[in-house]
Amino acid sequence: MKPDAHPTADDGPVLTIEGLSTGIRLRKADVAAVSGVDLHLRRGETLGLVGESGCGKSMTGLSVMGLLPPGGGITAGSIKLAGRELVGLPDKHYQRIRGNEIAMIFQDPMTSLNPTKTIGEQVAEPVRLHRGASPKQARDRALDMLALVGIARPAERLGQYPHELSGGLRQRVMIAMALSCEPKVLIADEPTTALDVTVQAQVLRLLHDLKDRLGMAMLLITHDMGVIAQWADRVSVMYAGGIVESARTGELFTGMRHPYAQALLACTPRLTQRRDRTLFSIPGSPPDLAHPPAGCRFAARCAHATDRCRSEAPPLTEDRPGHTLACWNPVDGPLGPVAAEAQTAPETPAEPAEPVLAIDDLAKEYATGRSLLRGAKRSVKAVSGVSFSVEPGRTFGLVGESGCGKSTLARMIVALEKPSSGGVTALGGELGELRGRGLRRHRRNLQMMFQDPFDALDPRMRIGAILREPFAAQGIGTAAEQLAAVRDLLDEVGLPHTVLERYPHEFSGGQRQRIALARALALNPRVIVADEPVSALDVSIRSQVLNLMRRLQAKHGLTYVVISHDLTVVRYLADTVGVMYLGKLVEIGSPDDIYLRAAHPYTAGLIAAIPEPDPDAEPPGDRDGMDTEMPSPFDPPSGCRFRTRCPRAQARCAEEEPVLRDFDPGHSAACHFPLREPQPAAAQVG
Amino acid sequence: MVQYVLRRLGTSVVVILGVSLITFLLLHGMSGSPGRAILGVQASAEAVAAFDREHGYDRSLVIQYFDYLGGLLHGDLGHSYKLNQSVNALLAENAGRTAMLSAVALILAICAAVPLGVFQAVKRNSIGDNVLTALTFVAYSMPVFLLAMLLIQVFAMGLGVLPAQAAQSSSDFVIFTEPRAMLLPVLTLSGITVAMYSRYQRSAALDQLAQDYIRVARAKGLSMRMVLTRHLLRNACIPLVTLIGMSIPLLLTGNLVVESVFNYPGLGLLFFNSLNNQDYPVLLGYTLVAATLTVLGNLVADVLVAATDPRTRRA
Repeated sequence: MKPDAHPTADDGPVLTIEGLSTGIRLRKADVAAVSGVDLHLRRGETLGLVGESGCGKSMTGLSVMGLLPPGGGITAGSIKLAGRELVGLPDKHYQRIRGNEIAMIFQDPMTSLNPTKTIGEQVAEPVRLHRGASPKQARDRALDMLALVGIARPAERLGQYPHELSGGLRQRVMIAMALSCEPKVLIADEPTTALDVTVQAQVLRLLHDLKDRLGMAMLLITHDMGVIAQWADRVSVMYAGGIVESARTGELFTGMRHPYAQALLACTPRLTQRRDRTLFSIPGSPPDLAHPPAGCRFAARCAHATDRCRSEAPPLTEDRPGHTLACWNPVDGPLGPVAAEAQTAPETPAEPAEPVLAIDDLAKEYATGRSLLRGAKRSVKAVSGVSFSVEPGRTFGLVGESGCGKSTLARMIVALEKPSSGGVTALGGELGELRGRGLRRHRRNLQMMFQDPFDALDPRMRIGAILREPFAAQGIGTAAEQLAAVRDLLDEVGLPHTVLERYPHEFSGGQRQRIALARALALNPRVIVADEPVSALDVSIRSQVLNLMRRLQAKHGLTYVVISHDLTVVRYLADTVGVMYLGKLVEIGSPDDIYLRAAHPYTAGLIAAIPEPDPDAEPPGDRDGMDTEMPSPFDPPSGCRFRTRCPRAQARCAEEEPVLRDFDPGHSAACHFPLREPQPAAAQVG
Repeated sequence: MVQYVLRRLGTSVVVILGVSLITFLLLHGMSGSPGRAILGVQASAEAVAAFDREHGYDRSLVIQYFDYLGGLLHGDLGHSYKLNQSVNALLAENAGRTAMLSAVALILAICAAVPLGVFQAVKRNSIGDNVLTALTFVAYSMPVFLLAMLLIQVFAMGLGVLPAQAAQSSSDFVIFTEPRAMLLPVLTLSGITVAMYSRYQRSAALDQLAQDYIRVARAKGLSMRMVLTRHLLRNACIPLVTLIGMSIPLLLTGNLVVESVFNYPGLGLLFFNSLNNQDYPVLLGYTLVAATLTVLGNLVADVLVAATDPRTRRA
């Protein structure tokens, strides 16, 4: 770290935002996206801006960049960059600041790069523009920047196109591009939300190091309290367009005063979450900012709200030095162990019941046809040799990074996809042998819940029609009986009967996921396969849906297969957890086996990469050694597929493919050099 | 890439063979004997039969087709008895003028449609966008002959500033030597394509404007104009490239009408006259050439897309 990276006493803030209000004019209404936000950023400092989707955190960032979407405009307040007012600056002058003095990186690296320009051209562009560099100079600068952000073989990358790079590499390219003119301020808007957890840790560490090296100020916008706890120096919590609380990170996490900050932290899933408790959730959903409520905007969802809260908006005042707050009835510190009532855990059957679902040596290969250039046949082994079984009323959780084959596996379980080999036995029937009507009848008992509640419901069908469709497809009941069943379903998932006549776009993400769950439940299935059921939802809504899933499981004796990249979700729901890597099951066991006694280095690395919402926890990324990304499934590494990223890999790993070995009863892992000693081979025979 | 093009060429041959068979059967099956068509209604039955026998039209259709195919393999498209010239010569004589008219109209249409579409996308839902949308819909839904008639009515009959008939010179480059006389045919032909292209260009540009990389480019400090020219344009033109390749049939039919309305001596007029004269060999030859051009147009479009879009180069 350079000595000048730390702010000196006389250093004023680089960026000062005072009373910023931003509105967006839509066809029907004016939305007050940001209202009266105050922020300041010093050199070398990371300010975390945390809040749920739609709270105005991205709009704040875009206001600073002067890049509001069409119809958007700053209605009041000031933004000063090193003393210079930016609000009202003509675009011609603003252009000299953007990418030069303030840079921004965005959430999705897959779409943030121009697909028809080379990496080199794109990284060199700001230098050409702002520094007037010659093509040669700009190219050299691009090369330096790619090396700086830790991209191996940068010269080779310069001539490549974005589609040739993985997500993590593309985000590094984005960072290189943003930092190429050494800006004073970097706005990072959800920089790692679209990335896998192991890659997230690498990218955040890189941003942190570069901020120190270049002496920048960083505004880190995120919804993730874990990311904030690990990487921000100070935190501002936003809700419904306004800042509700700002403090130093340590102080906020231990001594928060605003009920929303408290609730947000309490909702954040943790690995230590007790499975027998319901998750903390905030009732209701955020207000409509086209018609913001009078008074405190959180009042409608706040447990401490009084009449004053509902009528008079609390101003942002300094509660203690460096700790500001907008609340009439502050709380004191985080919630203790969750006070929610204990949930009746599903009774454990006295003796192991017959599995309701058995997956035997399942494999799926996709032929990708001939490649245009080489003419050789290629295939992707999306899933290879996966076996497990699930007992009735239990939950099997499947975790792994994107592209590991977990969604393909899900689709095979519900017979939406035919396996290349191996079989799925569900409720005593082998799915591969069922055809036509038999398969249709069988499908009743196998239902699926999809990740994206925005895509999973037909936008042109009313909710009533969507929920009745399963009955109609199976030819069950008269119209009146179907309607009665649909009303019962809505009661089950906690939605009013009035939704029947409405269309999917009228609902929020959480409500849509409830509708999707109601549809999955319609035919009284025995098994529900949920593919990333909550990853598109905000934390406060996420716990509502997870609680609902648990409640319905207990009530109907449902069997779940829950697939997620989020280890905390699986930890909360699952009785058995399987870890997948490049199409293979590398470890399987009880949640405690996986999370406390992991034997496979990949499992341990995954768990270590999760940022804990605790500023005192060790930042992830230091311990696991997984500083690369998953190799392409087109040609997986020989032997153990994880060996290219494994800190323990030896020559044997490249030659011999490890088989699953037992470590505890019901706990096995496929590794030559596991983190723990396996049970002796003799014990495994039985 | 070479392999891909070769494979596509292979399938193209099959398509063209199919087209030749279908048009052959249609033309021969629809009316009476070719002899009757050529000699006219007044000719005696004996004369017609004698003509058919002499030129092999009394043989079975299958044999006639293979005979025709044999000619094709030697590059012989047949003989027009009406005009007493080989079809090859007739087509060759007129192809240059039609190609020139189509090319100029097409280039003009692209030059107008690309900026129009991008302008409409950037100024989405503004008055300018709405007016242009209305105009393009009118032009798009208008039959070619009507557009031609309207232009003649206004500029030739009404204002009297432009001639109603195209230049009659036999030179291929008449568009450049007598531009005033060619203005109306070219405008008519581009008019219909510009409407379609600008709609496509507008929606393609809208798609691209919503992409994150546009916002990233702005965040780098590029002006809106630089973003449009350096980043958006190439991406927004990819769908248009495919469209242009596929719009060759549209151009050919456009030619047919425009050339007959403006009396411009080209392939379209030749086809139109042959249709009136029931001159089957010419119709057959023209259809085959048109089919070949269409298939090749698609192939060229796909190759061009691969050149513009690096993502399609390695699949």
